[in-house]
Amino acid sequence: MNKNWSLSQEAFDALLDWLDSDREQAGIKYEQIRSRLIVFFAGRGCINAEDLADETINRVTSKVNEIQKEFDGDPALYFYGVAKWVYTEYLRRKTPQSQSAPIDSARAELEFRCLERCVARLSEEDRALLLKDYGAKGQTQAERRKALADELGITLNALRIRVFRIRTGLKVCIEKCIQDSL
Amino acid sequence: MNPDTERQEMREFLLGTLDRDHKTQFEERILTEPSVYEELLIDEEELIDQYVTGELSAVEREQFESHFLITAERQKNLRFGKLLQKYVNSHVEEPPIPSQSFSFLHTPVRRLASLGLLAAILGAAGIIFIRGFVNRREAASVVQQTTSQVMTVTLQPGSPETQGSTAQSVNLPPRGVEVKLELQLAKPTFSYYKSELFRENKSLKISDEIKIEAKGEQCVVPFTVTGEMLSPGDYQVKLSGVGSGTDEFIDNYSFRVIE
Repeated sequence: MNKNWSLSQEAFDALLDWLDSDREQAGIKYEQIRSRLIVFFAGRGCINAEDLADETINRVTSKVNEIQKEFDGDPALYFYGVAKWVYTEYLRRKTPQSQSAPIDSARAELEFRCLERCVARLSEEDRALLLKDYGAKGQTQAERRKALADELGITLNALRIRVFRIRTGLKVCIEKCIQDSL
Repeated sequence: MNPDTERQEMREFLLGTLDRDHKTQFEERILTEPSVYEELLIDEEELIDQYVTGELSAVEREQFESHFLITAERQKNLRFGKLLQKYVNSHVEEPPIPSQSFSFLHTPVRRLASLGLLAAILGAAGIIFIRGFVNRREAASVVQQTTSQVMTVTLQPGSPETQGSTAQSVNLPPRGVEVKLELQLAKPTFSYYKSELFRENKSLKISDEIKIEAKGEQCVVPFTVTGEMLSPGDYQVKLSGVGSGTDEFIDNYSFRVIE
């Protein structure tokens, strides 16, 4: 790829068209592919997994018109193939990375206040579930979850998904709260 | 694939221990099967929780820190996990999950009857507790004899200035005896702790990866030193929480060894 190549709106639109004819669906698929590429690179021990995922997307985007003509299949698989090349190149130029900066106490305090606010906005049922899922001392996560699933009369997997959704909602709420407070 | 096997493979994938062939297959599935990716996200959170609550083995912790925590997103998720644990620890009273099963308490007469029943239960529990306490005291004296090589000292946080003129005193331990310092902790926010013993600003001993212990209603960080290490004088223990990459100072514990 030409290193001076940068993502143009035109190229990005072509990529989205390739992913799906519906623009909204295409946007969702783009985000999904990017998240999964990050997991791919993280799984291979790459510290800058996010950057490598973007690099993979840029490479595909730069040739999307040719790919559309030649490749017939799930676009995710094409990204996967390119990601493997990007990974090989990464190994050749790998440099030590620095640790992420520690969080200062003011930021930590803000995060905690936002968490309190966001938990308070949960339904009583979700709040109780969250506290029980995390709170019981002297039990492992598996033991806590099993007891909780039995108590609620739902399967363990249903409980896992429910807790995951509550936590995902909380994270979004905290992000927004922090943004609003800064 | 068996769901348990698949979850085990996901765990190994996240910790970087899955063999190459399985990893390649797995990578492709993550990219192409939405359900596999969603399950992976749930497993990521569960792994983070297990790390935060100290459920991972020493080997898994090492893999978690060196392999799993390499992306900014996962580091952010770990911070969220720790934050959540801190929140839960600060809300000791767990609200019950709303249920109709206690609706009989809602009428005044039944509430009164229930209070009577509760009083009776508490009375019985009190008798059991007192008997248990007496039994435990008897048992403890036996334990004391069999573990006479360990001297346990519970320390409260604070410097001599904050504790007033009366520093916490510890009798000089006999030779060959280990001294288990139990550092009282207000909130157990970390999975592992680091303690360092000082005398006149000179470091005498450091212990990493210490897990908290429950002592009645409280949590303590155990820190064992040899009796030979102590002689009459003033000592200080610095306690830190072991975070991902950096340690966070928690408190100092001061004591004076007297003859």
